[in-house]
Amino acid sequence: MPININGAAPAGLVVPKPTNPAEHKLVGKNYMTPDLMAKVQGKSKYAEDYRADGMLFVKLLLSPVPHGRVRSVDTSAALAMPGVKAIITVDDLPPPASSLTDAGVVIAANMKANRGLTNEPMYQGEPILAVCAESELIAAEAIEKIKIDIERLPFVVDPFVSLRPGGPNARVEGNCWVSPPPPAAVAGAPAGRGGRGAPPPQAEVKEIKWTDADYAEYESGKMPMGAPNTPEWKYGNLDAAFKNAALVLDETFMSPNTSHQCLETRSAMAYWQNGKVFVHTGTQSTAQTVPAIARWLGMVDEKKQPDVSKIVFISEYTGGGFGSKITGDISLIIPCILSKKLGGVPVMMRLTREEEHFMGKARPAVTGRVKVAFNKEGKILGMDMYGVCDSGCYDNQGDAQAAGRIASLLYQPEAMRLRTMTVITNTPPRVSQSAPGGMQAVAIIEPLLAKAARKLGVDPVEIHRINAPEGKAKFGPGAGPKQVRGYVTSAYLKQALDKGAEEFRWAERKAKSPQVQGNKVRGIGVSVSGYSGGSVGFDGLLLIKTDGTVCFQSGIGNLGTESMSDVHRVAAEMLGVPWDKCEICWGNTNKNLPWTCVSGGSQTTHAMTRSAYAVALDAKQKLKELAAKKFGGTPEGYDVANERVFRKGGGSGMTLAQAAQYAIEVGGVYDGHEPPADVNKMTKTSIAAMAGQGLVAAARDKAPHDGQTYSFAATFAEVEVDKETGKFHITDFLCIADVGTVIHPKALGGQVLGRSTLGIGHAIGQKWVYDQHYGLPLAKRFYNNKPPTILDVPAGSGNMNWAALDIPDPETPVGARGIGEPPVGGGCAAVLNAMSDALGDEIFRRAPLSADLILMSLETGKAAGEHLTAHV
Amino acid sequence: MGIIEFAKSPWGQDVPIHIFFYLIYVAVIAGLTFFIGHVIWLRYFAKKEEFADSTPPGEVAKLPAEIKRHSLPARLFHWVQAGAMLTLLFSAFLPKVGVRFEWLQWHWIAGVVLTVSIVFHIIHASFFMNFWSIWPDKIDIEDAGRRWKRSQGEKAPAPRRFGKYPMENKMYHLAIVLAGLSVTLTGFFMLFRIRTPLFTRNSYMFGDMTNGLMYTLHGLAGVGLIALIMIHVYFALRPEKLKISRSMVYGTIKREHYAEHHDPKRWVAEAE
Amino acid sequence: MAVIRDVMPAFELFQPATIDDALNLLDKHGSEAWVMAGGLDSFDWLKDRIKRPSVVVDLSQIKELTGVKEWNGGIEIGAMTTLTDVVRNPIVKEKFSILATGAESAASPQIRNQGTIGGNVSQDTRCWYYRSGWKCYRAGGNTCFADTPTAINREHAIMGASRCVAVNPSDSAPALIALDAKMVIRNKSGERVVDAENYFIGPALDIRRMTVLLPGDLLVAIRIPSTWAGAKFYFEKVRDRPVWDFPLVNIAAAMKVNGDNIESIRMAVNGVAAHPVRLTAVEASLVGKPRNAASADAAGQLAIQGAEPLRHNGYKVPLLRNLVKRAIRGVEEAKWA
Repeated sequence: MPININGAAPAGLVVPKPTNPAEHKLVGKNYMTPDLMAKVQGKSKYAEDYRADGMLFVKLLLSPVPHGRVRSVDTSAALAMPGVKAIITVDDLPPPASSLTDAGVVIAANMKANRGLTNEPMYQGEPILAVCAESELIAAEAIEKIKIDIERLPFVVDPFVSLRPGGPNARVEGNCWVSPPPPAAVAGAPAGRGGRGAPPPQAEVKEIKWTDADYAEYESGKMPMGAPNTPEWKYGNLDAAFKNAALVLDETFMSPNTSHQCLETRSAMAYWQNGKVFVHTGTQSTAQTVPAIARWLGMVDEKKQPDVSKIVFISEYTGGGFGSKITGDISLIIPCILSKKLGGVPVMMRLTREEEHFMGKARPAVTGRVKVAFNKEGKILGMDMYGVCDSGCYDNQGDAQAAGRIASLLYQPEAMRLRTMTVITNTPPRVSQSAPGGMQAVAIIEPLLAKAARKLGVDPVEIHRINAPEGKAKFGPGAGPKQVRGYVTSAYLKQALDKGAEEFRWAERKAKSPQVQGNKVRGIGVSVSGYSGGSVGFDGLLLIKTDGTVCFQSGIGNLGTESMSDVHRVAAEMLGVPWDKCEICWGNTNKNLPWTCVSGGSQTTHAMTRSAYAVALDAKQKLKELAAKKFGGTPEGYDVANERVFRKGGGSGMTLAQAAQYAIEVGGVYDGHEPPADVNKMTKTSIAAMAGQGLVAAARDKAPHDGQTYSFAATFAEVEVDKETGKFHITDFLCIADVGTVIHPKALGGQVLGRSTLGIGHAIGQKWVYDQHYGLPLAKRFYNNKPPTILDVPAGSGNMNWAALDIPDPETPVGARGIGEPPVGGGCAAVLNAMSDALGDEIFRRAPLSADLILMSLETGKAAGEHLTAHV
Repeated sequence: MGIIEFAKSPWGQDVPIHIFFYLIYVAVIAGLTFFIGHVIWLRYFAKKEEFADSTPPGEVAKLPAEIKRHSLPARLFHWVQAGAMLTLLFSAFLPKVGVRFEWLQWHWIAGVVLTVSIVFHIIHASFFMNFWSIWPDKIDIEDAGRRWKRSQGEKAPAPRRFGKYPMENKMYHLAIVLAGLSVTLTGFFMLFRIRTPLFTRNSYMFGDMTNGLMYTLHGLAGVGLIALIMIHVYFALRPEKLKISRSMVYGTIKREHYAEHHDPKRWVAEAE
Repeated sequence: MAVIRDVMPAFELFQPATIDDALNLLDKHGSEAWVMAGGLDSFDWLKDRIKRPSVVVDLSQIKELTGVKEWNGGIEIGAMTTLTDVVRNPIVKEKFSILATGAESAASPQIRNQGTIGGNVSQDTRCWYYRSGWKCYRAGGNTCFADTPTAINREHAIMGASRCVAVNPSDSAPALIALDAKMVIRNKSGERVVDAENYFIGPALDIRRMTVLLPGDLLVAIRIPSTWAGAKFYFEKVRDRPVWDFPLVNIAAAMKVNGDNIESIRMAVNGVAAHPVRLTAVEASLVGKPRNAASADAAGQLAIQGAEPLRHNGYKVPLLRNLVKRAIRGVEEAKWA
């Protein structure tokens, strides 16, 4: 280290001189991650793999109705069964309570939130009570002995049915989330994700119905646009944009609700020992799940802050999260409460695939109607976007709002207006899923952009290029009295498009596209996508042990992205320690972990390489200070490399092992007895526990930055469609990632193509299906809701490729940004655009596409399917 | 074991879905038990039928030899109905006892025939026949009381002669009306749940509970009809009833039988 | 009483080692017994606690039910032969490749390793209403939830419906019908042999069952006569995903050609009705006709006569038509540079 830095850095950012990446020993290199062998050998233990003597098991009684109120429950016969230990309902759970973050920000109790169990089920499959027994079989039999009387309440599973005059409401209080105006000065910030700003005020549930006049165009597939329920935002002169346009398109597109489909269901195990609760479950952040558990269990200290001192959280392996396990899942409190009730005995709650379908959450469908003004070159002059978000039954999802911000970023309209509706339906709770809102924005706008390219005679890559963000591109609405718009740290999307077009041989293919042979036709598509790519301000913590090994404390969740290990390679490189002398300490808060970001919103690579950078600087400084103390001179006279701290130009020095020993002797700030003042409380606790074991380095990331960090992708796809059957498959796929410096190529490739595949799933078949008469889901199993398989992508034929620009971001010392979310939208929309290239613009108005819709479109000559019916 | 089979509705509620089909056997056994009981009663307990009044022999001689009892339309209706009913019963219940054939088309077509014939019958009976002749009147009820008392050895005046229909005929008709209307009305709505050229399918005209009750009523009336039809056939074939039964073929009864059992004043002449 | 799914209830498990033992068990336990082959269909039902047999007879230990052997110039396949073994069998590959193609299109490699040919042809429908435990006609109730004004029935029947609109999901079934296979069924009182096309039954005949098998019956083997060995075969399955998916529609055809003329042909499709449908009218119309586009088009039109689509499955009509056309003329292979 230092690492390559190009471009302009913000004031105050100490930019190390660029080095030749060829000199890097660790950063940008592939390596074997510390969890790999256990995974391939099946030795990795996920939450549900733990067993202990006397362990009890939980089964849940799920609501059979889409909306109802429990009138009475008779559990006497169940409790009388041998082996049944306890039954709990929502009345046994702690009530929602307000709490404070460590920054003193109030998190108000959300009385409408999902509590884990309920007496007013809001969707079929919502847990009503939990039975704890000696085995799952006994628990299941006990559930069948429970008499439950549920009063049915009105329900609705389709937002457009709920918005109609006289339509049913999903909640007793109403059918829409109505948001108060957002607080000022958060321009462009993704709501509620990352960052440390004040949380937005809680939305309220109100009844909103549109008029029959609003529904005038419904049958023709154009989305009605009644009064929106969130404050609209706009910038620029939209009227002038439409007046001056060479082409105006007004299109409606419906994106699907999709389950996260984590291979590991959200099983959880808990037990109590000596007043502490030990919790095992999957998570997207080991560190941040602890305060979440404290909040859910109502454990707060005298300052009303979550009391984390009584919680030990273990999560070494997580089988996927994709946004649905940001801090685990609230259902984990069920085994916690049962265990406490039963004297601390280990209680295991394994969730089945069907339960995961219900409780595992999903991406909210956003249906968008967008009117876009283009000039004759294809530049977007104005965009008027209206989005309706199917928010499920709990939590006001900001996907439609986020979709607007991402659209303004990716397509840089000169003027834009956003209006949105967030509608409540009696379907499972929604939550962020890889690129929340970003995925939907791209799915809604890309088909329109492809159509515009054809109508204007502009090359599809060119129309993306002309509208692509560049450098510190602005996005979103203005904020404050001067309506200042936010901007990103950097964007190299044009370079990504250029690189992709070249590698994909776009021009050559375009010249003969669509390519027809017999009943088969091939088409090509391109899409851009992007999403937030990092946050700042988290802590790094490492220990140089007296044997010279360096132990990196990692609070990052191990959900398969490998960032829990990757980011620490930055610090190892800076300290000049070979990787085989490094240990990663992760997955157990008993192992002294620092405060860490959640692995959501693609924050981790950016945020935690910054923390790694900060802690490496701290370690180096402490090593130099120790050397100066021992050998005389000033710290500046020393350098750190090759596992030694030594006087510059040669002379006295010591190994890291000796320095660690010396740190213990000196004590104070060097061995952890005096933690830095500005690190998080959790980090301080960990430092205190590590004190005296060697050189303890800890630091909070304070490197300045100016813009907001976003990552981008340019995606290309070719499809082949069989016009006699409607079947299609992807024959070629390429994603170019603009994610800054590459830290770990294999992990990056896994993310780029893995998340592309997640997006592809949205284009080719993954969906929910609901029977609207009963309001009940039908596609609950994998073979019904059809997540993509490896054969759905051209991986086997070697035609699924990726590359990274590897241009460092100028506003972060390591240059790396996150990657999880950005490729998702591109994976979906590149395929959609390839399909319309092959078959024409009128073939679809919703995703996913499937053989039936395509065949019917070809048969009837118009877009098939019920354009505005949810969950078909 | 019970009468009604319950199941979970998609919402997890217990709703009736139909009768238990063992009731088919119950109905058949009930019918057979009735035969046996009736034969025993006739053989060992029944007393000779006596009437309070009679038509003088001179008057009888003035009557035509054959007295018109059932018009041709009435007879046609009866036999159409009988054919439909037997088709309905066999198509409904044979599959339930293990005989596999494509029963539904037989069943619904016979059901439609039955329904149409019943509609015809109601119109015909209301406007072209003496509508009240089949319903028990005050005399019938009094006489039923008298017969009961006499059978128990108590003193009671002899019952009077019948109108067009003896009391048991009327009671049987009443039972058939109730069972028949139950099956046809429920069956009519069931037609909306299957593929016929008649209606657009819609299984959701009623809720789960109403549907279930409808199927239950259809089933109960259906198994009831098994017993009723068995009894009907039994009586029709009994030697002493053949004199009446033949009228459903030829339309007439003998004047002697007429004079003995029927009171001309109570048998009001009908239009053809 | 509350409902819970996805936890297998207790039952008595028998693992007989001979066919006779199995038949004795089936005879003894009657309709209380559940016959389990590979378990791919069974475990779904059992885990969901929808089918609640008190006795499960697992056939996996019966060696005499596995393997492919020569029979009268054709072959006899034990009902418990795995789909993978059927696919890999050299005689099947050489003489009856349509069966290998059909069987190989089923599910996924893992499922084919476990799933059996007998299970594949005897499996229950995948109607998602029925599989969700809704008390439909097929489940003994009084409603077809898939045939209502609001039902989602994209994967349901376009023909042969009678109250129930479920479809048969087997991929090997149409291939067996095209090969004129014979199903060997045994019970305590003896053995009977049923033509493959008559093995499957629709809801009009028995709404609770997909095959002629009754309690006590066991499918022991499938015989494929030599009649169609080495004929011109065509199999195609259209499905949403290239693996681990049931057919939307599949088609199997065996054809003998004399010069340009079709000498004889057998053709069956699945996924369009509650039973695989042999297209006898199409077959009859083609005998002696030239194998050309005109014959194919006419056959395609004939195949969809009387099709009655539901709200969401109208696509199956052109799909069936096109597959019939293709089965006659073969796919024009796209040759991409």
